[in-house]
Amino acid sequence: MHADFFIIVVYLALMFGAGIFFSRNIKNTADYFLAARSAPWFWIMGAVWATNIGFLHGYLAHGGAAYEWGLIQANFEWFQGPFGYVLTGIFFIAFYWRAGIYTVPQFLEKRYGTGIRTIYSLAWLIIFVVTIAAELYLGGMFLKNFLHIPFWPTVFVLTGVVGTYTLLGGLGAAIMMEFVQFVIMMLGTMPLLFILLHLVGGFGGIKNILISQWGVSAQYFTVLPDIHHPYGPGPWIILGQCMVVTIGWCAGHQSMVQRNLGARSLYDSKLGYVVAAIPKTLGAFLYVVPMIAAPIIFARYGIFVEKADAAYGKLILNLLPTGMLGLFIAGLLSAGLSSIGSVLNSSSTMLIKDIYEKFLAKRKSDHHYFIAGRVATFAVIVTSLLLVPVVLKVPLIMWLEQTLLAMALGPFMGVLVLAIFWRRANTPGSLVGFITGAVFAITLQQGFGVKIFFQISWWSFVVTLLVTIFVSLLTKPPKKEKVEGITWESDFESMVGAIVEERAETKAMRVTEMAPRKITRPPWYLNLKYWATAILLVQVLLLFFFG
Amino acid sequence: MEEKKGANPKLIVAVQMLSIGVILLILGLIVFFLSPIRTMASYFRISSIISDGSIILVGLGFTIGGFIRLKRLKKA
Repeated sequence: MHADFFIIVVYLALMFGAGIFFSRNIKNTADYFLAARSAPWFWIMGAVWATNIGFLHGYLAHGGAAYEWGLIQANFEWFQGPFGYVLTGIFFIAFYWRAGIYTVPQFLEKRYGTGIRTIYSLAWLIIFVVTIAAELYLGGMFLKNFLHIPFWPTVFVLTGVVGTYTLLGGLGAAIMMEFVQFVIMMLGTMPLLFILLHLVGGFGGIKNILISQWGVSAQYFTVLPDIHHPYGPGPWIILGQCMVVTIGWCAGHQSMVQRNLGARSLYDSKLGYVVAAIPKTLGAFLYVVPMIAAPIIFARYGIFVEKADAAYGKLILNLLPTGMLGLFIAGLLSAGLSSIGSVLNSSSTMLIKDIYEKFLAKRKSDHHYFIAGRVATFAVIVTSLLLVPVVLKVPLIMWLEQTLLAMALGPFMGVLVLAIFWRRANTPGSLVGFITGAVFAITLQQGFGVKIFFQISWWSFVVTLLVTIFVSLLTKPPKKEKVEGITWESDFESMVGAIVEERAETKAMRVTEMAPRKITRPPWYLNLKYWATAILLVQVLLLFFFG
Repeated sequence: MEEKKGANPKLIVAVQMLSIGVILLILGLIVFFLSPIRTMASYFRISSIISDGSIILVGLGFTIGGFIRLKRLKKA
């Protein structure tokens, strides 16, 4: 145990040191908030995935849910890959790039106006602060319960490490650490799957023991259960999860989008997002499949698990030897730290770009906003720390996060889809649509007691879509220059224009013998279409075997 | 609005590569030396060596890559 503790301390010290070393290169707001637009596609891939996986949305909570509900939990990984990552990478990211923005609310403002930007920013800022506090709480409790390290010193050390590198180095430092965390999570925690499968006789062995000997329902082994399933009925997974939640999360979550805006080119950004679907798919094998095998191990070794959330910790502590355990806990800490770092960085970006620069201090120098960014990061850290003691003890806080997420994702997808694909959508339409969708979501959740998150998201998306279309048609269309360049139709027109110009030039070349135009294309192995097709095929195969 | 000149994107990537490599390399080596590999059950031993060995290899690759990129940038 001492050796494992030493490994964790060294890991945290290395991250702290590297963060300070890196921060010497950060000079202005573009460096701080967008990492000087330097990140290659593989940085984006690792950073996007690590941002997505944490204690809350990953090992502990998702692992615990898989222990309780079975393979259905894998739909968060297997559907988010093709629907969220691939579709966002191909269809949405280019419009964010073209709009020249730092934050998602900035895009909403460019297309629809200030009102919707402010509502969206405030909702996400609250979600972010609660998320950081919840991640810190879970990390502190995990180390306290399983390694017997005192809670508050642990929380302060975790905050100190992640706060220092994010505060000093901005997005560049966050992306760098997320890549380290990506490697450690993938290579350090994957062996658990092989060890477990070896011990229980493969996936067939798990099925055989649980279904034939223990009489567990076959629904435990499907990603798309029937309509009566209390946790996630199949039809709602397809409608709410695939069509709304995953795309809304990938295209609307500032932390996810900001990593892509820090890429060195639009192509790197798109490819990074599409390829991130591969680790996302593998995520199910890191914490879903092992937790399905866990009950057999617990029964075999007589281990008592009091609640599902504690199952993952109990499994690794009782199974893994020294050294491997230390690396594994470093991997788990990575998941939490990467989420905290990315959300911290995104909160400060939104605070400065959407609130401070917009309403409180207009037209100041770049250096002013750069310093303000660091102050904002510090303010978010302090606020989150203050929330830690109450975050999971007071149900109101978690209720607020869940309600805001349900309120934001469906309506956001409604207005975003129309923003990009229908140039007739206008400011009053989007504002009335967004607010109606959000109120409808809250009414469903609180008034009618609908508990299935995907169902709420789907219906609030549909309501937003219909109301936005109806109000937009009743009011004046937006001016052409306002939608130019940031809608699909105008994008299509400009692409056609470019193709026509290129053809004209090629013809002219034959006549005048001009020098051939050099067009650089990525090599075949970096072709976006090949990767997207391969990922979709893998998902179809997974659904064929496990659906 | 005055704008301070930003960092060189290539330098940022080189420093990131070097830092990532050093963190992974040191962590991998420490885990390797602290693991009781000889006393582990065979299946755990193989898993541990593959997992830790891959981290060391990735770390080494990034350290060398980052170092070369930094040197090239300094020369230029």
